[in-house]
Amino acid sequence: MSGPAGRECQIVATEHGWAGRFRAMGSPCEVLLESGTRNQAASITSAVAAEAWRIEDKFSRYLKGNIVDQINTANGASVKVDDETANLLDFAATLYKLSDGRFDITSGVLREVWTFDGGDHIPDPSSVEAVLSRVGWSRVQWARPVLTLEPGMEIDFGGIGKEYAVDLCVAHIRDSQSGPGLVNFGGDLAISGPPMRRRAWKVAVEGTLPDAADHLIDLRQGALATSGDARRFLCRDGVRYSHILDPGTGWPVPDAPASVTVAADTCTQAGMTSTLAMLEGLGAEKFLAQQDMLHWCRR
Amino acid sequence: MKTKLLPAVLLVALCAGCSSMGVEPWDRDVLAREDMQLVTDPLEAATDDHIYFSKEASSGGRGFGGGGCGCN
Amino acid sequence: MADVGVTKMTKSHRKNDRSVSATLAAATCALLGTGASAPVDAQEEPKWDFNTSFLYYGEDENRVQDASLKSIIRRLFADDKSLSIGVTVDTLTGATPSGAIRQDVAQTFTRPSGNAAYSVPAGELPLDDTFKDTRVALTANWTQPAGEKGLLSVGMSASKEYDYLHTGLNANYAHDFNNRNTTLSAGIAVARDSIEPVGGAPTPFTPMLDVGDVSNRNGDQDKDVLDVIFGVSQVISRDLVMQVNYSYSMSDGYLNNPYKVLSLVDGVTGDTLPRTTPLPPDGGPSGQFLFEGRPDERTQHSLYTQAKYNMNGKVLDVSYRYMTDDWEIDSHTMDVRYRWPIGAGSYLEPHLRFYTQSEAEFYRLSLDSSQPLPQFASSDYRLGNFDAITAGLKYGWKTRNGNDMSLRVEWYTQSGTVPAGQLIGNQAGRDNYPDLNALIVQFSYRFSQ
Repeated sequence: MSGPAGRECQIVATEHGWAGRFRAMGSPCEVLLESGTRNQAASITSAVAAEAWRIEDKFSRYLKGNIVDQINTANGASVKVDDETANLLDFAATLYKLSDGRFDITSGVLREVWTFDGGDHIPDPSSVEAVLSRVGWSRVQWARPVLTLEPGMEIDFGGIGKEYAVDLCVAHIRDSQSGPGLVNFGGDLAISGPPMRRRAWKVAVEGTLPDAADHLIDLRQGALATSGDARRFLCRDGVRYSHILDPGTGWPVPDAPASVTVAADTCTQAGMTSTLAMLEGLGAEKFLAQQDMLHWCRR
Repeated sequence: MKTKLLPAVLLVALCAGCSSMGVEPWDRDVLAREDMQLVTDPLEAATDDHIYFSKEASSGGRGFGGGGCGCN
Repeated sequence: MADVGVTKMTKSHRKNDRSVSATLAAATCALLGTGASAPVDAQEEPKWDFNTSFLYYGEDENRVQDASLKSIIRRLFADDKSLSIGVTVDTLTGATPSGAIRQDVAQTFTRPSGNAAYSVPAGELPLDDTFKDTRVALTANWTQPAGEKGLLSVGMSASKEYDYLHTGLNANYAHDFNNRNTTLSAGIAVARDSIEPVGGAPTPFTPMLDVGDVSNRNGDQDKDVLDVIFGVSQVISRDLVMQVNYSYSMSDGYLNNPYKVLSLVDGVTGDTLPRTTPLPPDGGPSGQFLFEGRPDERTQHSLYTQAKYNMNGKVLDVSYRYMTDDWEIDSHTMDVRYRWPIGAGSYLEPHLRFYTQSEAEFYRLSLDSSQPLPQFASSDYRLGNFDAITAGLKYGWKTRNGNDMSLRVEWYTQSGTVPAGQLIGNQAGRDNYPDLNALIVQFSYRFSQ
């Protein structure tokens, strides 16, 4: 969807109410509201955007001086973090255990050797090995609220941040008691409750088979998140390398699906479940079936 | 019939009192459930309507049935 | 599938069976600092919805048995429009009370076709088993939103059995108010039915004639029906919704049952008068029976109210209907259902229904030959004074594909009373009212795709 650039919000009227649009975390974002006046929609959108930009600024690995930058440039020194960062680190630790080490927020440095631009440049094994020596949550000392990384290691909240932001923003809409709303950050979305005028929010999920029609989802409670992106991959000698890297090997998870979409109670749960499914590679569908959640897997 | 007036009065009274009752849109989760719909099972409702139309002197109430029959 | 040769073996091993979602849910709660979130409710919108059921209805004592297959197919279109087509096929067998009363002697009657006769042993309730029939019914309904708060529905219905044709049209409009907490609706249905009785419709109060004699018959008949309904449904609280409907129904035309008779009885003994001429070789009635006659107009009013109440996942559904008409029939219906969820996707639903009606003004057990004939008379048990109870249990479950199946078993029993003043002589000692006991079994299957 087209929208404003930079940090501004745009409000448009839609068939069912209002849509507030802005850009955050590298994605087009929108807030859909059914009721209220244009001004009310604008004020809620501003509040949601402010929260999204706050989280982006605080946890982006690109911004100098924020807590992530402090951690990543500490060069072995201990860093004391605030409650919100500590919560995210606790969550990352739980997910590391839950995924048997496959979900690892220290694996971001692998991007130094892997560039998923649709091209065919595969790094040579020795450079992957070199970067791999700087990956591994098991080597991190995390004793809340103090975090100590080995020199050269970095943390990256990219795999959690967007879904976390969606959940916080939806909670804000719920607390503001301004009618049901839907928060959508580039396809990761959640709703504050069922809509007033229709039986459900209608969300389209891309068809899983080639040329298949979109799946239309009736969402009355909860969230949807998607892992995977058709543009972020490498292809060489007929072999497709997905952008989901296995932190244990430094190489792409073999046979990862092209994309996985999951419906869950919160966007964080949906996002993590779809990420964990991607990390299972061939076992993605089996893993998703075990979780008993509505899902779509595209290969 | 004198009883014709009473239902109309009840309907109007109900409407008048209705404007203040209800729930906010975000509290409709229970009401959206399938088993909270006024007619949960339309097939069962249609079947029952037909059985009782054939065996009793009263019919309908909920809505229209599929029509008459020569049921004996 | 991608070639896995270039990758190394992974360090860790997968646990084969585990549910990650519970741990993830707890971790998310801790992260977001909220309590447990409301459970997700997401459903892929089905384009097609198929709802099919098989019904068995069986009355005891060789009376009516019905096996029925019913299917409703719904196609959903964009923008909340939908088309619904329903087909029902009923096969009926068994016997139904003819309206004549029991006697201490054997009786014979001419069949409605006039082509044959049947006999009833002494002491038994006269039942006519002519009705082996197949009925096919079709309904079609189109629903679409009307503006932002309205819903419009139009439909048609038709059914055919060997002696009856029904055709009808209906329309309904519903409008939401107060944040969708209040819905007002209005509907109308019109029908034109054709009754084509076997042998032709008999003139009321003419006698049942011998086999081969159809001189008192008048061919096919028509009736028109108009139904109007007004309703209000209101959300009372997060857990309670109620509705109130008022309906008006007007029937005009041939309202008689062409096959039912009344026994013409002696004013003192109450026994059926014997025939005055000898029984012919082809057969005929052993006594004097007159065909019934009802008014050619009937106006009904009903008031229906229903409440659905959620009690922590269990749902109580209570409804009450009052009906009154210008045939002087009053009825009360009370229906209670309790849906009790068990396990994932299964439920048990006990059901209890109480029904009571007072007899039509022209209901007669029999016709007293020593009195002038009334203008209208019928001994059809469905117009009499009776109470009925339905008690049943329904069990529903979800198949592996998430589709719904259910099975319900119900027992329906009617027991009636003849108004005291109508019992004459020997009738008082007999069991006159054709009480009814029926078993209802229905299996349904619903799937969407």
